[in-house]
Amino acid sequence: MSPTLLFLLVGVAVPFLALLLISFWTRDGFGFDTTLTFANYERIWTEPIFGALLSRSLWISGVVTVATVLLCYPMAYYVAFHVHRHKMLWIILMTLPFWTSYLLRIFAWKVILGYEGVINASLLSLGWIAAPLEFLLYSPTAVIITLAHAWAAFAILPLYVSLEKIDRSLLEAAADLGDGPARRFFRITLPLSMPGVLSAFFLIFIPTTGDYITPALLGGPDGAMIGNLIQLQFGAVNNWPMGAALSIVLTLWIAAIGLVFLALSRILAQRAA
Amino acid sequence: MDVLDQLHAVHTGRLSRRDFAKGLLGLGIGAVAIQAAPSRAFAQAGDHAAVFTWGGFDIEELYGSYVAKNGALPEFVVFGGSEDALTRMRGGFVVDIVHPCLTDTPRWIDTGLFQPIDPSRLSNWGDVMPGLYQREGNDAGDGKVWMAPFDWGGTSVTYRTDLYEPEGGESWDILWDERIAGKIGMLASGGDSWWCAAIKAGVPFSEIHTEEAFEKISAVLRAQRPLVRVYTDDTTTLEQALASGEMAAAMTWNSSAVLLQSEGVPVRFAQPREGQLTWICGFMMHRDAPNPDRAYEALDALLSVESGHFMIESYGYGHSNARAFEKFDEETLRSLGLSSNPEEILTAGHFGVPQTQEWESRMNETFELIKAGF
Repeated sequence: MSPTLLFLLVGVAVPFLALLLISFWTRDGFGFDTTLTFANYERIWTEPIFGALLSRSLWISGVVTVATVLLCYPMAYYVAFHVHRHKMLWIILMTLPFWTSYLLRIFAWKVILGYEGVINASLLSLGWIAAPLEFLLYSPTAVIITLAHAWAAFAILPLYVSLEKIDRSLLEAAADLGDGPARRFFRITLPLSMPGVLSAFFLIFIPTTGDYITPALLGGPDGAMIGNLIQLQFGAVNNWPMGAALSIVLTLWIAAIGLVFLALSRILAQRAA
Repeated sequence: MDVLDQLHAVHTGRLSRRDFAKGLLGLGIGAVAIQAAPSRAFAQAGDHAAVFTWGGFDIEELYGSYVAKNGALPEFVVFGGSEDALTRMRGGFVVDIVHPCLTDTPRWIDTGLFQPIDPSRLSNWGDVMPGLYQREGNDAGDGKVWMAPFDWGGTSVTYRTDLYEPEGGESWDILWDERIAGKIGMLASGGDSWWCAAIKAGVPFSEIHTEEAFEKISAVLRAQRPLVRVYTDDTTTLEQALASGEMAAAMTWNSSAVLLQSEGVPVRFAQPREGQLTWICGFMMHRDAPNPDRAYEALDALLSVESGHFMIESYGYGHSNARAFEKFDEETLRSLGLSSNPEEILTAGHFGVPQTQEWESRMNETFELIKAGF
């Protein structure tokens, strides 16, 4: 057995199967009732809280993904095409926030978005607002802003790599054949950088959907996500089978959305070709 | 080094997607390994006691004699709610001593995860107020106890006297007052909030397990939810929000009010006419405690007069050492909402009644639903 296969088996397949098995059990005091049942999945289907938090999570992380890719693309583009010296320094500078702890970045955003935070204090001193903006913190907005910033490095790097790899002679050929900058970008650069866009999409969408630290600290009552609910099942609520079932459902949703996205991009690529 | 190789590859523009993916995989393993390493070390027999406690109890002032003897503080891991702590230990997390409250102990003992504490190994035990440990269910036989009491106090409302004037005197209604909608903070743990909501709903604690009580308390908490700015286990968040005026009132323990007052923030720790929620907390020892000798030393330091002075002076909590109170006059104690006779405070408020595990899980589940808006 190859090391890779062994690693996949021990690190991915076994835990996943364990999770799947537990999700068909039920809670029994502090232990498990190991009779196999669909009870947890039925609850997820019938009780509104699960669907609501799940769709909110998918929505939030969808917005985060789009925002991050849109913000990072120009940065990666600039370094790939317009920086000719010290490229590594530029990349390091862009991913600098990523060198500090995730938790630290969340607290930094708490300071920025807070009631007496940087934004509110500046706006107040400029006289643009009379009272601090309260929606900045403890809201889905706060979660979106923080996640988009926290995961930026995961978008910049794959975007940069795929942009850097584009054969410059193709761009010259397009220009020679009469394409303006905009047309050249949409016909050559964007399609050829799609692999980077796709990796960025997956690298951001997958982890942010299940994120629970950011919504726990900045989300407030209306910003809770499915990750918080899963964490609670393994914590205070003490219902591991339910937590397992929720994790499986979340995994399936992410997989389904990922597949749809992948299929769509394939179709688009074929049309373009 | 892999990372340097990758940086070099970026530098020369040769980082392939496969290399990049490989790097990410390496990062992932790194992140997992970093997380796993300290927790494994934590559970092993080492030089220091492993103390699993609430935030704010991981400071030098409380472990004077321990530090003097061992040259360093015990190892700490902090939790936000005791139910979280229990589920973590149920999942195999091993510590030496842990800090639950008396209402929890019967359920905790039932898990079989704890060993009785032998008071004869604690030099300060003679000064510990018997009223705090001679409680139902705490006797482990042979003169041993399950929980060594450490702190006691109340859960009530801390409010800004300059921003808010309670109508008709101090009461739990403050936290349900529409006038300060969006400026109310709540503790996220059901161990506090559910019980306080029971007081507000007029449910006697002896009936808190009934179906009717569940409905009444849920209704009260649901009605409050739109008024709440945030539910948090982090008392610092509540204290900062009260200090800045982001919140006008919040559910807190004694210490938040005392800390804010010492900073000059105009706040009061309310004495609601319905009574506070009162509690006694203390330490239990894990069945497989790797460092029991150090654990007893840490416990002895916690029960000392010096630690008691700090608890009363800086946090406004009651302490279990009777001699710790001698330094303070009745007036000082009263202004902190304390008394040298804890019975006086505990019986004036509402003291939690132990519940079954089923109740606890259901209560937490229901409260989480309510917090999420359902």
